[in-house]
Amino acid sequence: MTDMVVRTGLSRKDIYECYQCARCTGSCPALEVRPDAYGPRETILRWLDQGRDKLTRDKHIWLCCTCNVCEERCPQMLPISDLLTDLRNLAARRGNIPDRLAAAIRLLAVTGRTMIVHQLDEMRAHHGLEPLPPAAAEEVRAILKETGLDEVIEF
Amino acid sequence: MNSSPGRFSRRGAPKKVIMKYALYLGCSIPIKYPGFEAATRLVCEKLEIELVDLSFSCCPPSTSMKQVHYGSWLALAARNLCVAEEAGLDLLTLCSGCVNTLKEANHILKENDSKRRRVNRVLKSVNHRFEGTIEVTHILDVLCQDSVQDKIKALKARDIPLRMGAHYGCHYFRPSAVMKPQVLDEDEYPLPMHMDELLSFIGAEPIQFGRKYLCCGMPLGANMDQDAGYALTREKLFHIRASNVQALSVVCPSCFEQFDMGQIILGRKYKEKDHIPTFYLTQLLGLYMGMSPTEVGMDVHRIKTRKLLKTIGIE
Repeated sequence: MTDMVVRTGLSRKDIYECYQCARCTGSCPALEVRPDAYGPRETILRWLDQGRDKLTRDKHIWLCCTCNVCEERCPQMLPISDLLTDLRNLAARRGNIPDRLAAAIRLLAVTGRTMIVHQLDEMRAHHGLEPLPPAAAEEVRAILKETGLDEVIEF
Repeated sequence: MNSSPGRFSRRGAPKKVIMKYALYLGCSIPIKYPGFEAATRLVCEKLEIELVDLSFSCCPPSTSMKQVHYGSWLALAARNLCVAEEAGLDLLTLCSGCVNTLKEANHILKENDSKRRRVNRVLKSVNHRFEGTIEVTHILDVLCQDSVQDKIKALKARDIPLRMGAHYGCHYFRPSAVMKPQVLDEDEYPLPMHMDELLSFIGAEPIQFGRKYLCCGMPLGANMDQDAGYALTREKLFHIRASNVQALSVVCPSCFEQFDMGQIILGRKYKEKDHIPTFYLTQLLGLYMGMSPTEVGMDVHRIKTRKLLKTIGIE
């Protein structure tokens, strides 16, 4: 199922339903702290003007909190979050993925969890808790091989 | 023959609702913040909510895996759902991120036949099959049920009279069509208020503050730019301080980390010393029921809670 994506089912014509009102961008937290981010409005405009291919090579598409505020507030009810997820999935497949994110995904693929700490048993015992059983790492790995994650990130 | 109810008749006996869930801990809570796990287990035990531990993995987050590889996101989430289905239990999450992934995946897989078929083809190799037989919930939703609130009230040891800010975490309630469909039916703007109500229930004063429903900064920091993430946290803290909030209540370990660790990091950078303690909701419930701050894991918070709790007579 390597080609499984969100599939918004939106054509280029549908995306033209965006009339660039920037209500999304006015609500975008990422844009507030990173003025070089595009925000949803500009991302959609670039998509239409330059085509999706060019955009998938652009690092700026990862400057996003995934908070979904843009989608909630879109007066045209465009599924902006799904559009951006589709775009980033394609970008990742082409090798455009932030290092920190790639490292987190690799850790998950290998251990079944997204984080790791030293002296975990002692920490848990301090709070009166049993040691944490290992995650079902082998099953996780088998699933992720089957879904084709290793075509995007080696693990 | 006596036709009146015999001693074994169940008529008249109080109806006992047994609450039992598969406890989905996720990654952050059991690894970074086991104190929240301890508080939750203690509070649930008092409330007679049975928690069952099963062999789950990372949810995985919609902030990371979903953005990188949607198919992997859906399939891993499906496996976690299957593990709970196989035990015949609804799944209880403690994190705004986990509830987002698992609730949305459950929704997608129940509604979309083709995606369910494809995911089941993948899960076959590890002997699972998604059937769509369970629901996903969050500890906040459980604590807000009427029957549970009656029990909470009966367990009261003391009030928590603090000016508190409730912080839900974006993914707990957005996208609203999936996370809170019932709210949409009522034609209301879909912003949650029930943690605020729960806080006033335990004697706190819920305070409204600017940027309450916007991002804490975690996903931006974790994926791309830590400084930008903390800049968002700082914006938020500015509004929180301006509203004279004494402490925050969260239901998400990522939000907690942004506020707790974030204030240490921001404090060093900007020489800001006005620190606002953050609590995980079940820690507050624990205090309300008479547990000590250490019992509910407050001793390891980076922003110390002792001074504030002392002002309301809790030591």
